[in-house]
Amino acid sequence: MKFTVNGDEYEAIPRPGQVLRTLLRDLDHFEVRMGCDAGDCGACTVLLDETPIHSCIYPAHRLEGTSVTTVAGLGTPEAPHPLQQSFADAGGFQCGFCTAGFIVTASTFTEHDHSDLPRLLKGNLCRCTGYRSIHDAITGITNTEVAPAGDAAGRSVAPPSAMRVVTGREP
Amino acid sequence: MDLDTVTSVRAARSRSDLVLAPGETVLGGGTWLFSEPQPSVSGLVDLTSLGWAPITISDETLSIAATCTIAQLAALDSRPDWLAHPLIRECCESLLGSFKIWNVATVGGNICLALSAAPLSALAVALDATAVLWGPYDSERRIPVADFVVGAQQTALDPGEVMRSIEIPLGAMRSHVGFRRIALSPLGRTGAMVIVRHSRGETVFTVAGGTLRPHQLRFTGLPTTADLTTAITALDDWFDDAHGSVDWRRAMSVRFALQLRDELT
Repeated sequence: MKFTVNGDEYEAIPRPGQVLRTLLRDLDHFEVRMGCDAGDCGACTVLLDETPIHSCIYPAHRLEGTSVTTVAGLGTPEAPHPLQQSFADAGGFQCGFCTAGFIVTASTFTEHDHSDLPRLLKGNLCRCTGYRSIHDAITGITNTEVAPAGDAAGRSVAPPSAMRVVTGREP
Repeated sequence: MDLDTVTSVRAARSRSDLVLAPGETVLGGGTWLFSEPQPSVSGLVDLTSLGWAPITISDETLSIAATCTIAQLAALDSRPDWLAHPLIRECCESLLGSFKIWNVATVGGNICLALSAAPLSALAVALDATAVLWGPYDSERRIPVADFVVGAQQTALDPGEVMRSIEIPLGAMRSHVGFRRIALSPLGRTGAMVIVRHSRGETVFTVAGGTLRPHQLRFTGLPTTADLTTAITALDDWFDDAHGSVDWRRAMSVRFALQLRDELT
C-alpha cells in the first residue's frame, strides 16, 4: 500500500483492524498524539487528502493512494505555518499535548469560521488553557512579548520550546 | 483504536462480497466501530469500496446511500420547493461529534447504530423515509425507518442483511417543517428533539432524543393541546441518564410539540 505523509512516500501494509494513528506512529510520526483513542479528543487529527479526520478511528487499510498531512507537515520551526506562529505568539498551549490536533483542525478554517469556533472545535479537548488562548491564537491575538536580553522577569514571554511544540517536534 | 481481534479485512466490490463469514461485520465509516473494543469481531467487510453514489434524486425520491457521509448529506443543495431542506442541516448539527466526524461517519451507520440520540434516524423518520435492506442471495426488502429502529441499539435488520440506502419521498421534502432540540449544554448530547412536518392536512410529529427510539405521531389536521400532550406523555420508553431525566425530557418534548403546532397556525 503506497501513500504519502507530509510529502514523503511510504509503502506499508497495515495490520487488519489497525487505525491510521497507530500506523503513523509506527512510521515514527509521533507528532500524531495518542489521546482518547475513541475519536473524542482530537489530539490525533491529521489531514487526509486535505480533509481533517480523527486518525484514531480511521481504518488504515483505506490509505492506498492518499496523502496525509500532520502538524509537522504544515511547517517547521524555521518556516512555520501562520497558524503555528500564532499559537506560539498567543501562548495557545500549556502542556502542548493537544496542540497538534488544534492546529491541524484550525488550519482548515476560514476567517468566516472564527465566529463559530466553539462548535467547530467541539472535537478538540484541552485540559490546560480553558480555550481562551486557543481562541486568541486562531483569531490572531498576540499574548506574548519579546523581552530584551536579561529583562524577561515578569514579562509574558513564549516558552523556549514554543516553536518545537507548535510544529510537532517536541516529544 | 486498533481492533486487535480483527484478523481479516475485505474490501467489498460486489453484492456477493456482503455474505459474511462467522465473526465478520460490515464496516461503514468506522467512527463508532473503531471507538471501542469489538471483542466479537474478527473480520471487517468494508462497504465504502462498493462505490455507491452518495445521493441520487429521481422524480419521486431522494435516495441517500448508507455509505453517504454526514458531510456529504449536510452539503446537499436545496431546491426551491424543498421546504424541509433546513431539517437536514439541523439534524446533522445535532450530532454530538464534530465536523471531523461528519467527514467519515455515514448516514447508514448512524441509523443502524440506533442510539437513542441518533439525529439521522430522527431525520429519516420525520421525512417518512424507507430503509432499503439487502439480504443474502440478492433479496431486498423495504420498511419504514420508523419501524426499522426498534429500541436502544436494536434494529429490524435480520442476520445477513445490510442497509443499502434510505429513500425519502420528495413529497415529504416539500412539506412545511419545524424543529426543536435541547441539551444540557449548548453543544451537548441531545436531551429531547421534536420535529413536525405538515402537508395535505396531515401533521406528523417525530419525538426523539428523549426516548429509546424515534416515535412518529400522526394526526389529521392539527391536534388539540390535549390530544398532542396525551400522545406524547403516553410514550413508554423515556429514559433517564446524565443527559436528562425522564420528567424533563417528557416535559420539554410536550412543550416543543405544542410550540411547533402553534407555529403551523
